[in-house]
Amino acid sequence: MGPLIPNGVIPYEWNSIIAIIIGIAFGFVLEASGFSSSRKLAGVFYGYDFAVLKVFFTAALVALIGILYMDYLGYIDMSKLYVHPTYLWGAIIGGAVMGIGFVAGGFCPGTSLCAVAIGKIDAIIYVIGIMIGVFIFSELYILFQPIYEGYFEGNITLMDSLGVNRYWFVFIFTIIAIIAFIVSDIIRKKQKKIFY
Amino acid sequence: MVNRKLAKLSKFRYAVLAAILLILSAGLVLLPKYEKHEGINPEELLSNAISPERYITSDQLANRIINQDPSLLLIDVRTAEHYNNYSLLNAINIPLKNLLDEESKAYLYQDAYDIVLYSNDNFYADQAWVLCNRLEYKNLYVLKGGINNWFNTIINPPKPTENMPAEDFELFSNRKAASMFFGVAYPEQAKKKPVEVKKVIPKKIIPVKKKKKMPVEGGC
Repeated sequence: MGPLIPNGVIPYEWNSIIAIIIGIAFGFVLEASGFSSSRKLAGVFYGYDFAVLKVFFTAALVALIGILYMDYLGYIDMSKLYVHPTYLWGAIIGGAVMGIGFVAGGFCPGTSLCAVAIGKIDAIIYVIGIMIGVFIFSELYILFQPIYEGYFEGNITLMDSLGVNRYWFVFIFTIIAIIAFIVSDIIRKKQKKIFY
Repeated sequence: MVNRKLAKLSKFRYAVLAAILLILSAGLVLLPKYEKHEGINPEELLSNAISPERYITSDQLANRIINQDPSLLLIDVRTAEHYNNYSLLNAINIPLKNLLDEESKAYLYQDAYDIVLYSNDNFYADQAWVLCNRLEYKNLYVLKGGINNWFNTIINPPKPTENMPAEDFELFSNRKAASMFFGVAYPEQAKKKPVEVKKVIPKKIIPVKKKKKMPVEGGC
């Protein structure tokens, strides 16, 4: 919980309770907006529903712009934030595997658990599949280790590696997002209406 | 009527939301930029600088070296020439001009050790301390008085005069013991007392004819 627990505003013991509350709220919103339906999620690949693209793109944008404003105003020190380390080939291969799984199963790992919670059988099968995948990965870890731990690029961001001004980057990124939204809307309108 | 108006407005809702995002991100580009202050702020640096805790006295340091404190990292910020001439035990030489090198960072930027910086006086060590503090390095100390003070207190402790309190004599004996640890030889210690080897002289046994009725004596 960000700056509140390490600074002692909230006692440390509340950590997992707050995590559970946030998790429940997140799951509820995910389910309420229809993200536990594999048809809706897979729609982005078939062109009849772009909710996934819009939601995640918008979320990223809101967070990005919000953090940059807070950094500018001095509420957040951006250099103190955690940046996920980049293992280049691990990320590329893992992303491809995850994408194939997404198209085939119609869930991403988070939404699959959400769908299990409302009792969808396909989601249960999907989660069992995840477990098998985890098992295989850990059994063959020695084989995957060079890729998993290799090609380490450090804790870099797109802005660092491209070497552009971050404010311009965000502005261009916003324009790209809005163009993507418009294009996805055009594609959706051309597609036959599918009821699901 | 109200509903129809609402419906008309809500037709543009996506456009409005997109416009908000665009305006906000454009605002980021257009905002006046200012140079951010990197490192710790001046107030914090000042409070660190005036804190007496940043100094370590030569007695404390000697004590920690003698006790083989594993968390101690000595850094000599003098030139390599001076370092080769004389330095403390297991000290690492990082001349002040090389302080910001990549290699030096490996030693200075960590929080496992207590780093003690020293030079001939406090002067260069203090400068190194300020620079490192500015870079937010942790656990930095300065040897108070530097090598000169080290020499005057530990290696060559002033002998207390007779009218001084007992603590001074205790301190002196501590320092003297420490200096012996660091290889100072005292003449009174160096003077070896001639070891008296007690010669074991075998008892001469003089056979004495024993008279009868005499109490039994040694040898039997």
